[in-house]
Amino acid sequence: MIFTGIEILFFSLGVLSTLAIGLIYYYNQKLKFSVPAWTTSILGAFLFIFGIAWAFSSVLEGEPRAASMGLIVFVIPSLILLLFSRKLAIRKSTGK
Amino acid sequence: MSKNEKPSKLNRRDFFKIGGVTAAVGATALSSLPGKTAAKELDKRIVDKIVTTHDDFPAEVRSDYVPPRNWDHVQARSFFVKEIKAIGETVEDDIVADGQAFVEKMNFAYDNEKVGYNQADKALLAGAWAMNNYSAGPSPAAIPNFGVNSWEQRQEKAHFALFDNDYVVKEKYQFTNKQEASNQIKRAAKLFGADLVGITKRDKRWDYSKFLNPIPPLFRKPLLAPPSKEQMEELHNWGPDKFVTDWSDFPFEPKTVIVMAFNMDYEGIATSPSFVGSAAAGAGYSEMAKVPYQLAVYLKNLGYNAVSSGNDMGLSVPYAIAAGLGEASRLGQAVTYKFGPRVRLAKVYTDFEFVEYDKPKSFGVMDFCKNCMRCADACPTKAISYEKEPTFEPTHDNKENAWYNVKGVKKYHVDAKKCFKLWGELGDDCGMCMASCPYNKPDFWHHRLVDSITAAMPGPVHDLMREMDELFGYGNVEDKESIKKFYSPEGKSYDGH
Repeated sequence: MIFTGIEILFFSLGVLSTLAIGLIYYYNQKLKFSVPAWTTSILGAFLFIFGIAWAFSSVLEGEPRAASMGLIVFVIPSLILLLFSRKLAIRKSTGK
Repeated sequence: MSKNEKPSKLNRRDFFKIGGVTAAVGATALSSLPGKTAAKELDKRIVDKIVTTHDDFPAEVRSDYVPPRNWDHVQARSFFVKEIKAIGETVEDDIVADGQAFVEKMNFAYDNEKVGYNQADKALLAGAWAMNNYSAGPSPAAIPNFGVNSWEQRQEKAHFALFDNDYVVKEKYQFTNKQEASNQIKRAAKLFGADLVGITKRDKRWDYSKFLNPIPPLFRKPLLAPPSKEQMEELHNWGPDKFVTDWSDFPFEPKTVIVMAFNMDYEGIATSPSFVGSAAAGAGYSEMAKVPYQLAVYLKNLGYNAVSSGNDMGLSVPYAIAAGLGEASRLGQAVTYKFGPRVRLAKVYTDFEFVEYDKPKSFGVMDFCKNCMRCADACPTKAISYEKEPTFEPTHDNKENAWYNVKGVKKYHVDAKKCFKLWGELGDDCGMCMASCPYNKPDFWHHRLVDSITAAMPGPVHDLMREMDELFGYGNVEDKESIKKFYSPEGKSYDGH
């Protein structure tokens, strides 16, 4: 194998982080985030990326249960946070 | 662009200009940064917050503490029953039975119907231990002065050897400063195969006060020449009156002890208890036979006396703590920052002292151990203490006759007799306590992160961490699937290589 699992992971994390920053920037331009929307979106994006990194790493080290737990403990709360941030952003935008 | 169109704030050309300038400035800044980079500075700041450095030994030692003799060691006493009785000491019957059962099973037994104990697993164990058995012999049972761990300090090359550097050269090499000496010794140890290295002052508290070695000197190492008349005479007169020696027989006054740790295979230890788990330990023991000997020869070629040592000569755990390799723990082993308790320890005693000594370090292990108890839960014989706080005296069921526990050091005392009983039943050296420890993890970024967070958090969080560790599926023992995982070609993919 030319690229090892950990190399692919960190390359993917770079792509994910860039996408996350881009999306937050794009929606901020569109919806003008409030402070709570900024906080929840940044926290949610960070937790999502962290959860993906955790799960991927756990698969690499051969611990599938740790990977699933990583998805439950980090990724599900991150999705809730991101949905919440969307709601906050939309509420502010429509409230204008 | 028409004249009526309002120009955008940032056009494509400006974007490239700004991007180019930023990249150029960034690249220049990065290349002009000295060796001390931002990452190093950040690492140092985090380490300062999490790691405590001690000037003295970090555990309390009572004034009535007495260093043990090497036969106050369960294995030494059970493997050398006749010899120990010959010097007038007693050996309990249960120790004799456990020792015999262990030796018999470890040497001759396998069961092709039992997962982890078939002939292939046994062959793995045999190969793993081979270098230790050949070159360091009884060192794991604390018997010194055998094979590569010989006390001999020759002053010249062996006459019959083609290549031989195992002698103390006449000219002493002078390092420019202590730090340079420390750096070069550590680099040498790592080149030879040590995973962690620390240097500490020799501390008589941690050395065995007396040594039993019933093996006649002629049989302790390969013959480099035909035996001399004196050697034959010594062999002829060999008997119990010569079995015990002490530091007065040691060829020099040690000033420094170089302590090394060897990482044991994570998947191998995860199979505990099994012959595969024991093979992982054996591979560590074989490293312990090789690397310290190489380092001793290195020191001899710098012009200083040196003797390599595995479990013999002294207590490796307090020496490892004193040399800053790890912290004490509930399971009685030194828990290192990088590998947890999944290490084997070895030492080199030398009279070289122009060196920068390391200091003991704590990173929260003993605090975590107060609440965790996973090793105590995992131990089938309940040999590991459930006491919340460490104690000066053993608290287990055999505490009245615990000749094998060092008393007067504030720590968690393990009932080594109970532990050894299981070794006799299994025919391998168990390792479930190590496998279950939350600090036993592959060397992977997310575990280092969790360890650091744990070290920075107070006690109640440790309970949660322990529960999470279990929920995430780490530290399982007696897991039959772990044998398949060990043999899988994907088994070592976790370390990113």
